[in-house]
Amino acid sequence: MSKSIFELVDELPTGGITVMAMKSLDTLIPGQWQNLTGFDNTIRAVTGETDEALIQQIGERAVALYNDKSQGYQRAYWLYDTVQSGSGLLGAAALANRIGQDTFLGFLKNVTPKPEKAQSIDLSVKLVTELVAFCQINGIPGDSIGDFLGALGDYSGESLMRMAALVCFDGLIPLGPEFAEKALGNVQSSNTSDLEGNQTYKSVKDLIPGDSSDDKLGFIAKSFDSTKGWMQNFVSSTGATQSGLMHNLKGFIDFTDDKADYVGALLDMNVKYYRHTGIQTLVRRLIERAVAEI
Amino acid sequence: MNSARWRKILAPLLISLVLFISACTPAQESRYSQVQKDTTQRGAPAAVAKKAEQGAKFNKIFPDGIRGYEVVAAQEKKGFAEYKVNKDGKNVAMLSISDTTSNPSATAKYQAATEKVAGYPSVDQGANATGILVNDRYQVKILSRDPSFTKEDRVQWLQKFDLKALAKMKPAIAPIATQKPVTQVTKLPPLPQRAPNPSLVPQPAG
Repeated sequence: MSKSIFELVDELPTGGITVMAMKSLDTLIPGQWQNLTGFDNTIRAVTGETDEALIQQIGERAVALYNDKSQGYQRAYWLYDTVQSGSGLLGAAALANRIGQDTFLGFLKNVTPKPEKAQSIDLSVKLVTELVAFCQINGIPGDSIGDFLGALGDYSGESLMRMAALVCFDGLIPLGPEFAEKALGNVQSSNTSDLEGNQTYKSVKDLIPGDSSDDKLGFIAKSFDSTKGWMQNFVSSTGATQSGLMHNLKGFIDFTDDKADYVGALLDMNVKYYRHTGIQTLVRRLIERAVAEI
Repeated sequence: MNSARWRKILAPLLISLVLFISACTPAQESRYSQVQKDTTQRGAPAAVAKKAEQGAKFNKIFPDGIRGYEVVAAQEKKGFAEYKVNKDGKNVAMLSISDTTSNPSATAKYQAATEKVAGYPSVDQGANATGILVNDRYQVKILSRDPSFTKEDRVQWLQKFDLKALAKMKPAIAPIATQKPVTQVTKLPPLPQRAPNPSLVPQPAG
């Protein structure tokens, strides 16, 4: 049986590599993310209420809303959880590819995707996942790029942290300062077999708008193109740089400077920021609705 | 010989005993275990009623264009719509309309309301919420998210909604007999039982 929403929130880690990696981004978006964990804690923090009977009532309504599958909250969790697992596999594939290059095990190159193209597809699929999950949580039709773009400007807290981590860990670190242009170019030059060979895409493709892989590829490229400006603006307004991010990560990951792609792969395999902040966003929306409905 | 035989038997016996004891020890129960069970079991009632009004219908009821504030759409679900109120980029309050058809117990507190706002029964809930009930069905609630947004602000903002238009929407419907509201199983006050006609039977406040 799948886990309850209160278990998911209660079990969120307060430390470890995921939390440390996100904390390393605090300098970019100071004070935005506090790693709020625990179901009751979150109810108290979101509503400002302290009365235990009221907290119980809010919590029960939130649990019921989550368990009503027609409301889309479980689908949003599935997206955040699944895109992260699929992405972890890409990390393993990217490492295997590097091993292939460095140790002349050439055959490995044939079974693993080229890191840059795979990373570009990964980045753009994750972005589309955010768009679809946003629509599931907030009740907007799943192909509404315009609504999503409007809401991005108002992103804060854990949602903003998720986007910051996406831009930094899946864009800037593995692909460099021109990551947005590079990724868009790679996605636009991809064909459906590139897409279908990508584990991240495969894991969530059923919920990406479009009837065929061709349609879905078109939607992914269009969404990425529309959001590119926001991502570039995020980088320029926060002053994020590849070397700055790497410097902050050095506090807890041991690597040398010329191994940026290894770091990207390492983060990909070990940092579950999508799942972590996805649960935090989801429970916040559930609580906001629950306290208004009771 | 005998002791070796005993040792052979003792190990599996001890393992069985440990397994038996650990299986019987109940896992720590959460205060939400009961509602989790009730809302996931076969035939569990939906949290949102089929007959609930679409959230999109509520959009035009919300206030907009208030000087010094930004009103931003937040959620729009069946039976529910919510907007954020931001001031200087900071979220200070939430505005919401919900259809209590999905959650009839929410109406109980209004039956003992001693205050009115814009002619509708009004109650404070907890430290940060003020709500009114329109048509015995639509709950309009404002939730402060910052101490600067006071109860007086909530009461003022409640009057900025297009309540006349909301009152023209469908009146309360009696819940279907088989529909068991979700919160019935909790330790909360009992649900108000609606009479088959639209008038409400007086109930103690929730």
